[in-house]
Order: sequence, then C-alpha cells, then structure tokens
Amino acid sequence: MNLSKLGQLAVDVARKQGASYADFRFEEIRNENIEVSDGKPGQIDRNSSAGFCVRVLADGAWGFAANAVIGESEVRQAAQTAVAIAKTSARINRKKVHLADVPTIKDKYSTPFDKDPFKIPLTEKIEYLLSLDAMMRKNESLNNSGAFMSFTRTNKLFISSLGSEIEQTLLQSGAGASCGVIRGHRDRTERSYPSSSGQYKTIGYELVDELKFEENLPRIADEAVMLSLAKECPSGEFDIVLSSDLLSLQIHETIGHPLELDRVFGSERNFSGTSFAIPVQLGELKYGSDLINVVADTSYRGGLATWGYDDEGVKARPFKLIENGILVNYLSNRESAYRIGKLPTGAANADGWSNPPIVRITNVLLEPGESSFDDLISGIDDGIYFDTVESWSIGDDRSTFQLGSEVGWEIKGGKLGEMIKRPVYSGNTVYFWNSCDAVGDKSQWIIWGTPNCGKGQPAQTAQTAQGCSPSRFRRVRVGVEHG
Amino acid sequence: MVDKSRIIETLHSAMKDAPGDQVELVYDGEILNITHIAESEIQQNITRADASIVARVVLDGKIGVASTNKLDVDSVRACIADAADISKIAEPDESFTSLPNSPAAPEVNGFRHSTAEATPSDRANAVWMINKAAAMHNMTTAGAYRTIINQVAVTNSLGTEQYFEGTKAEFSLTVSAEDGRSGYAIAFDRDIANINPGELAEISIDKAVRSENPVDIDSGQYTVILEPAALGQLLLFLAFIGFGSGTFVQHRSFMAGSIGEQITSDLITVRDDIYNPRMQGMPFDYEGVIKKKVDLIVDGIAKGVVSDSGDARKMGTESTGHAHIATKSFTPYPKHVVMEPGDKSVKDMIGSIPRGIYITHFWYVNYLNPMRTMVTGLTRDGTFFIEEGKVTKPIVNMRMNQSILEALTNCRMLSNERRLYPQFSVVMLVPYAKIDNFQLDREGA
Repeated sequence: MNLSKLGQLAVDVARKQGASYADFRFEEIRNENIEVSDGKPGQIDRNSSAGFCVRVLADGAWGFAANAVIGESEVRQAAQTAVAIAKTSARINRKKVHLADVPTIKDKYSTPFDKDPFKIPLTEKIEYLLSLDAMMRKNESLNNSGAFMSFTRTNKLFISSLGSEIEQTLLQSGAGASCGVIRGHRDRTERSYPSSSGQYKTIGYELVDELKFEENLPRIADEAVMLSLAKECPSGEFDIVLSSDLLSLQIHETIGHPLELDRVFGSERNFSGTSFAIPVQLGELKYGSDLINVVADTSYRGGLATWGYDDEGVKARPFKLIENGILVNYLSNRESAYRIGKLPTGAANADGWSNPPIVRITNVLLEPGESSFDDLISGIDDGIYFDTVESWSIGDDRSTFQLGSEVGWEIKGGKLGEMIKRPVYSGNTVYFWNSCDAVGDKSQWIIWGTPNCGKGQPAQTAQTAQGCSPSRFRRVRVGVEHG
Repeated sequence: MVDKSRIIETLHSAMKDAPGDQVELVYDGEILNITHIAESEIQQNITRADASIVARVVLDGKIGVASTNKLDVDSVRACIADAADISKIAEPDESFTSLPNSPAAPEVNGFRHSTAEATPSDRANAVWMINKAAAMHNMTTAGAYRTIINQVAVTNSLGTEQYFEGTKAEFSLTVSAEDGRSGYAIAFDRDIANINPGELAEISIDKAVRSENPVDIDSGQYTVILEPAALGQLLLFLAFIGFGSGTFVQHRSFMAGSIGEQITSDLITVRDDIYNPRMQGMPFDYEGVIKKKVDLIVDGIAKGVVSDSGDARKMGTESTGHAHIATKSFTPYPKHVVMEPGDKSVKDMIGSIPRGIYITHFWYVNYLNPMRTMVTGLTRDGTFFIEEGKVTKPIVNMRMNQSILEALTNCRMLSNERRLYPQFSVVMLVPYAKIDNFQLDREGA
C-alpha cells in the first residue's frame, strides 16, 4: 500500500472509531552535519529518520499516536490508539476543542534552491570548512577555532479528513564559524560569525557563498583577540543600538513567543511560560513605538520557517502582528484561532513525525525603517552598540528580559568608541519596544534563522526566523549589579 | 517494546562482513506516553515509539557515523555502508586507538512493569484528582505526566555487547490562580507507583495559596534557602559547563586547572552515581563502557570530570563511561548527579535566618560567563521572605545574577532531606541549601 493510501486508511479508521477530525502525517528527514575544529575535521554524520503520526479529535479532545514502523497494521493500530486516547481525555475535559475552518487543499510544494547541498561532495565541504578554520588561525593568538555546515531535507505527506492531501519537500541549510581566546584561568572570550548559532535558511548550498566568510573571518579573529583585552560592561541607563542578529533574538523572545496564541491561553504554563499579551489587548496594546511594524510570513523566500503549508494544511501567507506599534494579531493554529474568532495564521509546526503540531514562531519580520547605520550611531551621545547574541533569559510571562552580546562598543559623541566585553541589557518588553526611535533601513535588513527553538511537553525543537535591521532604543538598563 | 533478541540478532546480522576495521552499532529505542495538561484540561495525549540505530565505522583510524530509524537488517547494513563511506574521506583522528572492548555491565534493575504498563486512563485519573484539588482553591492546573520505556543495546566488532531496558515516570505540576500566583512540584521515579499526584497537588497548591499579594523587595545580597529544584538548576549548569571532559580538555571548563583545589564550601560533595539506589539508570554508555561512580567535588575540592574514551585518551585516563550516542555533538556530562545531604532539618535551616529569601524554583537560567560559572535566571512559582526564622510573606519574582561556584562557596547548611529532580536528560538527587550573599535583583526595574 503506498503512503497516500496508508494516510487515507488512517483517516478512515479514525473516523470509523468516532473521530470528528483526523489527520495523518508522514515525514522522512535526512540530515548531514559537518564540523571542523582547530584545523581538523570533527564530527561528520548523516542521519535519517522516517515515521508517521495520526492525530485525531474525538469527543472534543485530542489523541495522537506515532510510530517509526510504517505498515498497514501499524497505521490501523495508531489510528485506533489515537481515538482511544482522545476519548480518555474527553472523560476529564470540561471544554471541547473546536477548530477554525480551513479549505480543502490538494497541492505540492518544494523549497526553491540553486545548489543541492546533498549533491556537493563531502570532501569539498570539509575542505572548504578547513580553509575557513585556517583563515581564522592566521591569527596566532587564538586558542580555538571551528566551523560547521548542516543540511536537512524533509519530505512530508499530510492527509486530513477534510480531504486535503499535501506533499512538501523542504530544504534547510546552515553554516557558521567561531573562534576564541583563553587569557588566563577562567577567562575566555569568543567571537562568532555570522551569529553565535551561524546562519540558517531554507535555501541550498548557495547560502555558503551568500555568507561571505572570506571577507569577515579575519576581522572576527582579530576581534576575538581584542575582546579578550576589552573592558568590562558599565552599569547604568544608556541609549543603545542592537545589531541585526541580536535584535532578531529580541524579536524572537519578546514578540514571537508572547504572540504564540496557545501560550497566551496557558499551554506552556508548566514549562516555557505564559504571555502578558492577552487577547483583550488585541487592537489596543501599544506594543511598540509607531516605527514597529511586524509581519509573520511563512511564504517569505528563504526564511527558516518558509513552507507551502503548515502542519495543519494552512497555506503560507503574510499576516500583520503589530501595525504602527499596535498589537493586531497572533501566531495561531486552527484551535487557538477559533478561540479568538480569527483565521489561523498558519503557525502549526511539529518537530518531525513523532510530535503533534503546536503553535510556533514562524518567520517574524520587523519591517525596515529609514535610518542608515551612521544615523543610528550618530544620534547617541553616550551609549553602547551591542553585537552578536551571547546570553538571554526572559521573564515568565515575557514581559521582562535580560539579553547579552559577545561584544559591544561604546558610543561617544555619535561615534563608535572602545570595545566592551560581554555587555548585558535588560528591561520591560513593552517599555523597551516603545523606546525604539530609529529602525535601520532596508540595506541592513537580514532574515536570521534560529535552528533550535524549544517549546512544548514533550519538548519540541523548531526552526524559526526573524528579520530586522539594526535599531536604536533609548534609556535602557545596561549591565548587571553583580559579578 | 521490541524483543531484546530481535534487537541483538539484527545488530549481529548487520555487522557480519561489515566494511571497516572496527564497527560499532547502537540501538536506542524509546516509547513515550505523555499527558500534557493546561487550563485544567488534557491538552495533548500522546503515545509514540521510535528507535535509532547508529553505526560508527573505523577505517585506518578514520571514523564515520551514520544513523537510521529502520530496524531491518538491510537498512542497518545500508547505514553501516554510509558510515564507511564517510570514514573513507574523514581525516585520521590522532587521539583514536580503538573502540572499547568492555566486559558485560553489572545488572541494574531499572525496569518497572507498573510504569511500562501504565495507561492513558491512569494518567487521566491523576489529572482528575489534581484538578479537583486545585478547583477547591479556584486554581487551574498545568503539567506533564509521562512514562518512558527505554531500550539500549551497544555492540561492536571487538565483542562488546551491552543491553539495558528501563522505565521512567515523571510528573511536573504547576498550579496557578487568575492573578498569576503559582506553585510548582515535580516527582521522578523508575516506578510510577512511587509518584503521588495528590502530594504534588498539595505542595503546589500550598505554594500558590501562600503567594497572594507578593511584595517588592530591593535588589541586594540575601541569605537564601534553595529548594532542591532551585539548587538542582544550578547543579545542572555546573554539569553542562564544566563537569564533562569535552570542555575540560579544551580548557573551557571551570574545572580545568582546578583539580585538587578548594572550589566550594567543604559542605559540598557531588558525584555522578548511576549506582545510587534512587537512580538505577543504564550502567554503561553509548560506547558500551561500564559507567563508573565519579567524584566531581568532594568536601569542596575539585576531584574530576566524567569522560568518554576519546577525551580519556587525551587526558591520559580511562573512560568513566559517559559517552553520548555518536550522532550527538554533545561532549560528556554527568546525567545522574548525587549531592551528599547535610544534617539539618529544613525547619532548622529556615529558623537560623533572621532575614532572607526562600526560593522554590528558577526559571530560564542561562549563562552569563560560563568559565566563571556566572548565570542569570528568575525565581518562579513561590518566592518568600524569611524574617526572624520564619517564612512570612510572598515576594515578587527576582532575577539571579550569580556565580554558581561563589554560591556554593557561601553554602552554610544542607538539609538531611533530599529530592530527585529531573531536568532535561539529567536526574539529580539534591538537598535544600542555605546560601549567604546570594545576589538577587528586581526584574524589569
């Protein structure tokens, strides 16, 4: 029996057992990871995983069963188990789950790319990574260096009791490099490029050319050495400019996560927290200054969360989340969207075949402003420029945060000054976004892939993206009071 | 579950005539059942079964790794061939000499039929019970109740053959009121019969009830009582940052250059001990090496780190049996952390504090400076003021910006009571701690 027929069988069995809705998802995931460190090839591995899941709604409650073994009897059993589990849950639950309507879809989607990374010889990839490592190692003061590439291809088949059947082939590519200096006992600094987790996109091997390692790694190596001698972060209230990659994390943690609508309703109360941005504030909450316009767009070419359809069969398209600083929508799936009477924003995403889809950050994009980098810096008399994510810790309801970067520079009299080691800033989310008085222009705008966003019980890892330009924020608390 | 004999036979059959000088095959299987609770409803109820087979092939000192989740012999052979292809183009690993040839590991009974046979209905009954208790206080529940069956087999062409099957049951619970106050409790055991949902509800409801109208207090250094979950969060970061050989050999661990030195109060003794009767985990690692009980800190003195065979060679020691599965790029870290208890009751510890803070749990702990063990994070789910030896009132959650080693140096008392605290892949057996000069800052001020 082919996969399509197995999927249909799962849906049919579930419906016969009493499910009001059922979907079947098959995924086959192929992954290749290559690392080099200190001038030598490190871990090289190729992994594959395949399996299916059946998700059902029965008596108003969810049931889910997944298995790596794919056959007719396993599919039948999974469908029956999922329905039985759902009915057990329904015995306890007071509220029934309802789903926002979505159209029936029959379609295919593939990630557009230029160079298939799985067709590039492994030797070529290793040699290239070694050349990057050597490039950094020309600076003899370094104590460690390394570079990596990672590629994932996922084939998916989604079949639902609504009659949808969607085939997708998604391709993700990632690469990055880093180096460090040990100055003394328990004194180590690190610089990385293009960010501390590299860069990830849904494109092909062309990502490696796009990153322009050769132009940047000598600078990163020099900065790592300078950083080991840099001064400590001052404490106080300063005007600050955040680099694009650090602002990407700020968006991820204080816009993306708080606007996941399942979290808003309490789904993560026991694990990764709640959200201050409750639905009664929709259309009212002045989340940020008038310059803050944020869109969620799973159709944006190259974003790490770019696909044709989400894992509930909702078509990719852009939705505004924040318009001129006002909260106007959430990241949602069919269940949570129903609860606020809106269309789902296509944010249902599962970590592989063995997990149910939950609401995830997708491609969350802060629209560019009009300021050049010089404009951002020249508007500050005494401040700090933060570059490259290093540390983050967010309040339970996402209303507060503390983030830190690998490196900073003083801003004195509108110009970049001395380097600062590991600067940290903190604040209140709404106050912070309202303190933004300049957003960088389109020429500085980058979409950053986050390959390892954690959420859910059982824990799921998602790939998200945030797009932004460097931006300026006024009167922000910098430094920690101790240590 | 997959029959042990089927797993072993498949690995042996696939290994026959395999390419390469040495071959290692690891089967890592898991059946997970989990009931996820939010808004006092069962939000998700999941069962799933998966297993990966990882092949490591050694050819002329060069190593290739590949994995599949298909257990048939042909798929495993294809996986070995893929690993062999990778090994052909890898560079020789100068520190590698051979795969381990390990004797059979001692029997550890980590399997409980009660856990393996628990049903969705059993978990639903527990949810009904905790919901009823929370509703009496107008509170809602959120949590996760899970059971896991693990099967791991390690074989290699030198004759190593290990097999383990074990179970885990874990219930974490947060009870919260509409005004945001909350309480938290967690339990872990190999045997689900030892998980008491009623007790978890009682503990978490009590914390939430006592958290009404919290007061703000000033940033500063306080004497604190850390519950096992809070102290466990700090130990977890020590485990990740520095108790493993990977960061140690790269001089990226606080333990590097510190062995034999006093790094904490002499009250602190921490070991990785799979053989502790409360742990009962897998007695070998993913290379098949028998796990050793490892002294990490004894009486405050840094003693050693856990290792795999590759790092052990670099250190000139023997592997402690802490290798990860070869597809993971993680370096070794302890997964069964046991902290020795003290001799004080929790009541006496609180009674000794004229002015301090009682902390249930930390949230979103992350590094600030790993080499200096500086971390940040927020208190959560029950933070209270201690005045004149008594817990007097709830306080607003505060941010910790603290060196863990400095905190453990300022540890003044440990409780005679310990609790199991699971977090990610690590299980810790941890007492309550009294710590002086612990830095807490007002958040978002």
